[in-house]
Amino acid sequence: MTTKILVFAIVCILPFFFIGIINRTKARWAGRKGASVFQPYYDFSKLLRKGEVISKTTSCVFRIAPSVNIAAALFAILFIPIPFIGSIISFPGDFILFTYVLGLAKFMLVLAALDTGSSFEGMGASREVTFSTLVEMAFFIVLATLALLTNQISFEAIFAMLTVSAGYSLLVKMLLVASLFIMLLTEGSRVPVDDPNTHLELTMIHEVMILDYSGPDLAFMVYAAGMKMMLIALLIANLCIPPYFPSIAALFLFIGVLVLIYIAVGVVESLIARSRMSHVPQFIFLMTALSLTAFAVVAFFLRGGFS
Amino acid sequence: MISVLIGTVLFSVGGLIALFLKEKFKSIAFIVVAVLAQLFILPDVLQILLSGGHIEAQFYFSEPIGISFFRLDPLAALFALIISLGALFTAVYSHGYMKMYAGDKAELSSYYFFLGVISSSMFFVVIAQNALFFLIVWEMMSLASFFLVNFEHRKEEVRKASIYYLVAMQIGTAFLIAAFGWSSAITNSLDFNSFKSVVCTSGTHAIFIFILFFLGFGTKAGFVPLHTWLPKAHPAAPSGVSALMSGVMIKMGVYGILRIILLVGIPDYRLAYGILFISIVTGVYGVANAIAQHDLKKLLAYHSIENIGIIGMGIGLGMLGLVYNNTLIAALGFLGALLHTFNHFTFKSVLFYGAGIVYSQTHTRDIEKLGGLNKYLPLTSILFLIASLAISGLPILNGFISEFAIYIGIAKSFSIDNIAINIAALMGLSGLALIGAMALLCFTKVYGICFLGTPRSEFPFMPEEKEYSLLLPMAFLVLAMIMIGVFPILAINMLASAVGQFLPDASNTGMPEIISLVTTISTSISIFIFFIISFFAIRTFLLRKRSVQIFKTWDCGYQQESSRIQYTGSSFAQPILQLVAELVPQKVQVHKEQTLFPVHASFESHTQDISERLLIQPSIHFLNNFLNKFSWIQSGRMQQYIIYGLIFLVFLLVWIWGGR
Repeated sequence: MTTKILVFAIVCILPFFFIGIINRTKARWAGRKGASVFQPYYDFSKLLRKGEVISKTTSCVFRIAPSVNIAAALFAILFIPIPFIGSIISFPGDFILFTYVLGLAKFMLVLAALDTGSSFEGMGASREVTFSTLVEMAFFIVLATLALLTNQISFEAIFAMLTVSAGYSLLVKMLLVASLFIMLLTEGSRVPVDDPNTHLELTMIHEVMILDYSGPDLAFMVYAAGMKMMLIALLIANLCIPPYFPSIAALFLFIGVLVLIYIAVGVVESLIARSRMSHVPQFIFLMTALSLTAFAVVAFFLRGGFS
Repeated sequence: MISVLIGTVLFSVGGLIALFLKEKFKSIAFIVVAVLAQLFILPDVLQILLSGGHIEAQFYFSEPIGISFFRLDPLAALFALIISLGALFTAVYSHGYMKMYAGDKAELSSYYFFLGVISSSMFFVVIAQNALFFLIVWEMMSLASFFLVNFEHRKEEVRKASIYYLVAMQIGTAFLIAAFGWSSAITNSLDFNSFKSVVCTSGTHAIFIFILFFLGFGTKAGFVPLHTWLPKAHPAAPSGVSALMSGVMIKMGVYGILRIILLVGIPDYRLAYGILFISIVTGVYGVANAIAQHDLKKLLAYHSIENIGIIGMGIGLGMLGLVYNNTLIAALGFLGALLHTFNHFTFKSVLFYGAGIVYSQTHTRDIEKLGGLNKYLPLTSILFLIASLAISGLPILNGFISEFAIYIGIAKSFSIDNIAINIAALMGLSGLALIGAMALLCFTKVYGICFLGTPRSEFPFMPEEKEYSLLLPMAFLVLAMIMIGVFPILAINMLASAVGQFLPDASNTGMPEIISLVTTISTSISIFIFFIISFFAIRTFLLRKRSVQIFKTWDCGYQQESSRIQYTGSSFAQPILQLVAELVPQKVQVHKEQTLFPVHASFESHTQDISERLLIQPSIHFLNNFLNKFSWIQSGRMQQYIIYGLIFLVFLLVWIWGGR
């Protein structure tokens, strides 16, 4: 029990570390030394110590949204299997609650943006809901593929049943990893969908929605965003390695995979530019296409739909 | 049974009493009678829902109806509960809402009268077991609702909408007459139970009869492409009526479909796939069109179509479970459908009531003109927000529970080793996810644009909440939403016997598994609520002694803040509408000012319902042309009609002689 809590606590403080890794990767790629990987922690603790400035147009929605967002992000992680401890909550269909809790967080985030009455934030809100609509459908195709592949419908059982074998199942896994990586970039608001580093309000999706936040509320929002990104990275890592080694070594292997994923995000960000807003849906449709292909492979080759 | 029948008739009696009273006593009299009716109805209804079984009564009517059974079984009891509560809440709401129309004595009298008639006739619809009696009360329900929609008959668009509605209902009823007629021609009986032998055989006629029933009931429920009356009738009706129609009356279509499925037993696999497919299309089509609307009530009407799609997906899934002999999937499907029927009643009523308050205080339903209402209507705003969260299927509220049941039923069917159902399940899962995500988009738009920010136009007067009778029904329903959302076990227990009716084996219902699942969900959701509360507490604690400045919204240093620079509903919805342009075609008219200093520019966008344009209008056009060819029969000249009479008499004489 104590180890479980300890591991869980470590996982909960990891998101900022990974954000630090992305920034470091980008700095190195650009030939700079870069800030410490722990910089996001300093920013976070500074925000927690600040007061706030709140817009006079806002209502209670604006004040409660950050709490809902951070609660949802922390709640969602209870469902994801972590080596050594497994999922903390697991029941058939838990991925539905997982997705919908994050949906609730998004609902409040978008409303908070509209609550300020700012046109920039409205713009960001509109883009956010549009892209996440597309992502959510594709994510459910990924889940359908996994359910079809393993005959299981909870995260823990699905990943426990995923055995590594060559041939079609490896192909399926690669397709799903690629598909989830696109989701990671979209939901994590990274290049090529969104650029977290721009300072002009006009160009952004996620950052513009939280323009009016400050102090602890902003800290909550930043943490929730980092955590949401890590949730998807955790799913990818679960796909990449077989979990449930009863040893603590598996945990380190797992974290190693996560670090690789985040370095990949940093590399992608260094190599390509943010695409035009009108091209983003095409990028997300790539995720849909990849996951549909994976589903077709499972349905026709592994389940013998052709026989 | 007799007490239920008394309660049923009481609604009409209430309407009748209201007819003769003074204007300000009409609503109170109706409410008193409606409360009294609850006392007669609810004990029996709740008892049947909770412990199963049924009660029935037999009546002898004169020919051609003949012997007629009234039966209240768990399925009927669920709908009876919805009708009973819906009628009461609408009555209470009308007390405050109809003050807008004070002075229209004749209209108000007919309003309460037909409110009574529609409530009674919906009750009879769910307990009738005789085809002819059923059709009569079904027609009464349609006509009463026509008069309610036509309340503001002095406005031309209301008259147009209500006539459109009336015609649509008659077409639906025509399908039903054909279906019942065909069935009773085979069995030579009018009793529902005798139709069992007609619909549960594997012959082709059974499928055709089922399709006729589906078309008839589907018109009432609003399945695509028979839905076109909903977005016209709902905005035209007074808000209380819209709520009653959307929350309760369209469910009579769902009830009809379920009643037929009960008779069918194990359905043909083609019907199961067909219903699932049509429902997915209905759901996606409904929500995609909803996003494009500017009229608040029209938008909600399209959401009713979407939710009928979700209910239909549950029904289709349940039928697939029966086809593949998987009790758990069947139970989950029907449970999801029935629970969503109840849930949709709760949140859609609240949304329409809320829209009514907005309309009565701002005199507009145009979303683009609203904004910032949460400062004027704080309670309405909170109730509307909770209902918005519920209709988007988000956790803590009841919409999530019913969608979860359908989701998990679909996900379970991946383990069936059959490629057809696997692909259907993929479509169902991704379809439901798409519907859910788009509903989220739509309700962030509705709530965010109407209630948050600052007003986008000047309101005729300061909006305020002075009528608590408007808020009371909403508060009750919101309470039900939260209760079901956090303690779904309550709802599952209520629905268990109704779901059991659909399953072939009463002892094996899959209920224990479902109950243990919802208990886990209940615990998880409680943990989630605990998280939210604790983080909000932490936030409050942190900000306890610090400065919290109230300042204007950050707008990049721009000095002239104006409510007109806010994002509008159209621009909010534009990115997604561009992606679904084939499904929701938009007519855009842009007027750009070409001179150096722009003074006047305008932008307008209108949505067209493609099923109206591609299916309904061409068929009306065709019928018009075709029937025009016979217009010479109705020439309007007296001589010609006398000749018709003569021909008819001659024909009759020949016939009688020939018969001798």
